[in-house]
Amino acid sequence: MKYWTDIKDHLKDQISLAGQLLLLILAAYVFMMADENRRWKVPIIFIGLLSYFLLRHKKKHPIIWITFLGLLTVDLYHNYFWLANHHFMLMFIVLSVLIYHYHKRSDILLKNIQILLVIVVLTSVVQKLTSSQFMTGNFYYNMFNHGDLFINFMNFFPESLEIAKSNSKSVIDLQATDPNIGESIVLRDVFPSLSSISYIFAWITVVIELVVAITLLLKPKGLWTHLVFTMMIIGILCTRFETGFMALLAICGVYLCNNLRLRLVYVLIVVGCFTLMITRIGYH
Amino acid sequence: MANTARELILKYGIPSLAVVIIAIQLFYVNTKNLSKWKGGGYGMYTEIHYFSNQIYIPGMSLDSLLKDNSEMKSTLGYLMLMPNKDNLNKAGELILKTTQKDSIHIQIWKPIVNSKDGFYSRVLIDEVHLKATEL
Repeated sequence: MKYWTDIKDHLKDQISLAGQLLLLILAAYVFMMADENRRWKVPIIFIGLLSYFLLRHKKKHPIIWITFLGLLTVDLYHNYFWLANHHFMLMFIVLSVLIYHYHKRSDILLKNIQILLVIVVLTSVVQKLTSSQFMTGNFYYNMFNHGDLFINFMNFFPESLEIAKSNSKSVIDLQATDPNIGESIVLRDVFPSLSSISYIFAWITVVIELVVAITLLLKPKGLWTHLVFTMMIIGILCTRFETGFMALLAICGVYLCNNLRLRLVYVLIVVGCFTLMITRIGYH
Repeated sequence: MANTARELILKYGIPSLAVVIIAIQLFYVNTKNLSKWKGGGYGMYTEIHYFSNQIYIPGMSLDSLLKDNSEMKSTLGYLMLMPNKDNLNKAGELILKTTQKDSIHIQIWKPIVNSKDGFYSRVLIDEVHLKATEL
């Protein structure tokens, strides 16, 4: 019981907790991206660390957040079209936290996070709805048949895994031919009725994301909102180890959720994602 | 009044920035053929990844072009990511300059899949014919 009381004490201050988790994910992400644009990052890291260790008690500016924002901005400027989508989201969250250090209004910070999260999830829904390849199930069908979805569960179905490998090899062989000849291949289904499964899975994805976006907009702190949101995050992680993006969504969950048990679930997701990121099992 | 405006900016300024980035991404997707996966528009997992696009140059190996040539990697990378006429021309010009050839025919293809019959094939996105004398 004593442990739960201690845990509850830690979970109660969500802004401080989410800030610490964000720093953790930021550090991992920035470290993994450190070899890009090194010429610009070296002075930022050097000056940032020096200021942090020597001046952090004298300066009222949040040096560590400014440094991280500087590093993210360098990549944004030089690699705009190559960056992962969560790089953009990370920048917006860091910017919100940075500005929070000046206005000190938790309601404004939480509103920033809420609206940002709604925009991200809602845009994802719109992008899917406007993609005929996605809505017909063709995209998921291709991913399933290459063994790119539910990779960790595929090991329990060795026959399906073999079919996926054979499909990937056929595609590589096709790529080696002159496309002007008009040659094509027929993918073998890794599971029976895969066409229907892919179609249904596509619609389930859209419906869940839409429900999450609407509930986050209308009831950002509601219990059901966060139950559905955590289910969505865990569901995506089961599908693929998109740990970088999911860690960010879970951090947003820590900011917004009022229920301590669900907040603990979010913390577990972030720490789990961080572990998978730094061990390179998950994507950063 | 000033406080209300300040509060509105603080609350919705950053989310508005996100909307601007999304609008830019949609513009590039619809006018420059940028892959939905990139550009901060949260369109990942909505179409086959641009890695599956195929650059085809008759009579030329792509591997030999890319070997130890970072400019070529970057230019052809952009062509895969944003397969449009501008990027085809840029790639063609660079290849002509690098290989000292008189002319080049360069194509960019993308895969299509039909879940109803499992049919996997390729369709031509765009192509250019360039002559060294025209550069």
